[in-house]
Amino acid sequence: MAQPTEYYSKYPKKFKGTGIITPVLKVFKHMFKTTFHRPVTILYPYEKEWVPDNYRGRPGLRFDRCLGCGICVRACPTTCIELVEVADDDGKMVLRPQVNVGRCMMCGYCAEYCPVDAMTTTTDYELAEFNRYDLIYDPRRLHFEYTTDMMEVHIEEHLMSNLAKGITDQPTAFYNTDRPVLEDKKCIGCQKCAKVCPVNAIEMVVVGQNDKGKDIKRPKIDEATCISCSNCIIDCPKDALKMNEVL
Amino acid sequence: MSGLREWIVNRATDLADGGSVCLNGHEYSDIVGMSPYDVYNLPYDIGVKVWESLGGLIAWLINLFVPNNAVSFALISDTATNAMAIVLMVVVIFAIGFVTNLTMIWQERKFLGRQMDRRGTMIGPLGYLQCLGDGLKTFMKENVAPRAIDKKIYWWGVVLVIGTSVLLACMIPLSPRWFIVDYNTGLLLIFAFFALAPFLIMCAGWAQNNKYSLIGGLRAAELMISYEVPMLILFAGTVYMTGSFNIGDIITWQEEHIWLIVPQIVGFFVCLVCAIAESERVPFDLSEAEAELVEGWQTEYAGMKWGLIMLGDYFRGFVACALVNIMFLGGWSMPIINEFDWYYQYFPELFFVLKTCFVFIFFITARGALPRVRTDQIVNVGWKVLMPLAVINLVITILIKWIWDYGGVF
Amino acid sequence: MAQEKMNADKMWLTMGPQHPFSHGLWTLRAQVDGEIVTDAEPEVGYLHRGWEKECEQRDYQKIIPMADRLCYSASMTWSHLFCKVAEEALDIEVPERAQYLRVVADEICRIQSHLMWLAAVGTDAGNLTIFLWALREREFMLDLNVRLCGQRLTTNYPRIGGVRNDMPYYFERDCLRGIERFEKALWDIVNLTDDSSIFVGRVKGIGYISREECANLGITGPAMRGCGVDYDVRRDDPYDAYGDMDFYVPVYKDGDAYARFRVRIEEMFQSCSIIKQAMKKLESIPKTAPYRLKVPKAIPEGTHMARIEDPRGESVMYLISDGTDRPYRLKVRSPVFVNVSASKRMVQGVRLADIPTVMAMIDMCLGETDR
Repeated sequence: MAQPTEYYSKYPKKFKGTGIITPVLKVFKHMFKTTFHRPVTILYPYEKEWVPDNYRGRPGLRFDRCLGCGICVRACPTTCIELVEVADDDGKMVLRPQVNVGRCMMCGYCAEYCPVDAMTTTTDYELAEFNRYDLIYDPRRLHFEYTTDMMEVHIEEHLMSNLAKGITDQPTAFYNTDRPVLEDKKCIGCQKCAKVCPVNAIEMVVVGQNDKGKDIKRPKIDEATCISCSNCIIDCPKDALKMNEVL
Repeated sequence: MSGLREWIVNRATDLADGGSVCLNGHEYSDIVGMSPYDVYNLPYDIGVKVWESLGGLIAWLINLFVPNNAVSFALISDTATNAMAIVLMVVVIFAIGFVTNLTMIWQERKFLGRQMDRRGTMIGPLGYLQCLGDGLKTFMKENVAPRAIDKKIYWWGVVLVIGTSVLLACMIPLSPRWFIVDYNTGLLLIFAFFALAPFLIMCAGWAQNNKYSLIGGLRAAELMISYEVPMLILFAGTVYMTGSFNIGDIITWQEEHIWLIVPQIVGFFVCLVCAIAESERVPFDLSEAEAELVEGWQTEYAGMKWGLIMLGDYFRGFVACALVNIMFLGGWSMPIINEFDWYYQYFPELFFVLKTCFVFIFFITARGALPRVRTDQIVNVGWKVLMPLAVINLVITILIKWIWDYGGVF
Repeated sequence: MAQEKMNADKMWLTMGPQHPFSHGLWTLRAQVDGEIVTDAEPEVGYLHRGWEKECEQRDYQKIIPMADRLCYSASMTWSHLFCKVAEEALDIEVPERAQYLRVVADEICRIQSHLMWLAAVGTDAGNLTIFLWALREREFMLDLNVRLCGQRLTTNYPRIGGVRNDMPYYFERDCLRGIERFEKALWDIVNLTDDSSIFVGRVKGIGYISREECANLGITGPAMRGCGVDYDVRRDDPYDAYGDMDFYVPVYKDGDAYARFRVRIEEMFQSCSIIKQAMKKLESIPKTAPYRLKVPKAIPEGTHMARIEDPRGESVMYLISDGTDRPYRLKVRSPVFVNVSASKRMVQGVRLADIPTVMAMIDMCLGETDR
């Protein structure tokens, strides 16, 4: 059984109104100590505290890694992320996240859910600007110079079914396991899912011909390249796709 | 050669010779006949010298345009020099008191910072200029006053609180040659002015038409009844021992015999506590307890009024420290080094201020180590602890004095 | 409307919402007779943000960082509580490693929350040294938070079915060093408070509540244990790994402000011991062991309740789920909201100068009170 500490057991008995001598001496001692040693405070704008790499400052983006899948947009609790069209290095227009840092709560969900670790947390916490528009970080500005591997946030989830089987060394994440499945009856073959897929994992396959002799197309999902971004599910006009959550 | 030009040449020759700088070639003893002092007074002398150069310059400039005019001669006449020297003397004494005060504010901020494991002020050399910056900032603030106040008392209250504090600081002599008036009841008068503040604070608290300031003002009165009595009993002990109310005499007695802290060690600590309470500093700052009363009796005093009140508080802190110094630590006297000639020639003022700052360290540590006492606690402590100790101290003093004078009690 | 005759003897003093003693936005209207307080009335609600309603618009995952914002210094326990109620709804058990990590994070949070309280007690009693020393120690605890969770206050560390990340490198060493340093440094602060007759005189014998009143008013947490009720959710209804932990629950029978003060100080010492035990246990669990489960986004229909020992008392969340990925209703029972209702009883009869010290022992946090 746990024992109370010295403070609880002995202190009230020992105390008989020792007066003010102990605190005065304590403070005096501390004064001499800090006169010869530095006090713990730092002169902030001139000296800065070291922050570890896993510090969650503003979000950072590695432009070339990003797929423009929009998982971060949907994961953001404050809806401060928005996909905008920007020219990539080759001049092609691509979708990339833009973050309104003024609204950001630094939860790190965008970095955590990013399937390709393009979004990272950064150690940048000095974000003051003179007006609110400057707080909107476009995809290029989101780039953080000193990004290290430690700033990536990985999800290492374990499937409950695996744990029940006794497998404890196969950490995974939703983007490895969850895949959309098609409800064939509802599908009208509009190809919208194939258009919105950021990784081109959906291919429209001809499965037959209808009465008028036209091809019936159905999406075929390449499970290896799919990143479970659920763009196809959201954009499906007939709700024919559903996410199959593997547990 | 005009008379004025002759005078200027004489002055220049005097200065070049390195001779004593005296007005119109007279010896100092001629001046003292006109000055209000029968002893040498350094601030007055500084005033005389400053007016000699300043007034002489003005007189010379006027004389350039209007040769041999009456105004120039009037400016350098003995009467004008004496009058202006007294004005300048007050400025000098206030300036030194002010600088001492700023030093004590800086000292408190630095020491308190070190006690709390932080750095204290960092502006200027060793953070000394922060006080000036704060003063400037407070000065820039708008001078607002609430509408529903008792205007007369509101303004006179704050003026008198600050005024008495500054007056007290000027009344403290720094050395045998640094004083305004060498009055025989010096200590008594300082105590009288010191005790005036709680009454003014009470009035100011009432006049602000604010519940917090009302309670704060009444607390000042409550505080006063608890510390003032033991303080005066201690004061009686000092006076009985030294046989005089005159501050100079008290210190001379201590210089000749012994610092009063040795026979009256109990009284010293009681006096420290009372002095902290007297200057209303942190363990006893009931009238401006910021935890429950927002700023106490100063709540409605905004801008530079508040700044001056803070400055006045530190003036009172300086006076309280100086009183402890005078009553127990021998003022400007130092045990061994005051035997040397150069000590009284150059250093007594400096040592007085240094010793006062040393006493202030106790004040700062009390602020750093102790939480604020409650109203009933201070009355309890005042009457049940400090008062008996003060009486014991008085009894010890009387016994020692009798043994000293008559070689026995009976 | 009949007008009451003005009572000239007594004065109503409105303390707050902008008042140095009210740590946060709340008002205590105190009726004073000279210096003696005869009546008081707490008014809360200035900080109402519609937290519970806002949660109904969000996924379960997104509520976790919002739960951090319930209280600035008990963020870890609040997000832990939300995860706990969601886990109860999903009927899953968290991996062992995550349980111990949560215990470590919870206790670090408890220590830093209590240190924030101690700092507030320092200023309320009128001593800035206690404030700064306590905040200095708190800063080391926040550094541990940064190391473990990535943020100082809004930790966002627990997840439904585990925790966000495993311990980073050297965290174990840093944590144990920090705790050892803290145990020594806390004695320094104790020297300023318990060894000072002025401080003890300020807090002893004021703000008395009896055991029965405590039960009637629904006070929980250290305030309740200071009144002699021997009850701690961590011990009596253990959650996560607290069942394995060996710790002492400090109880005092005095019922005054000083007893509440001592309970919290002793709790800090006990938290240190809990962290050490949990760290020792974490050593024996392999580093590759799972610490996070993959959970479904939607929670099945039903009503669920979970409770947890917050630094301020017993906090409860009540969840009604309708089978979607958003809660139908999420009710929060804040311990401070209940405890502050006792302020009327506590401050009656004390002096005006005692109001800050008595109310400091409740450890106000307005974020969770007004939600």
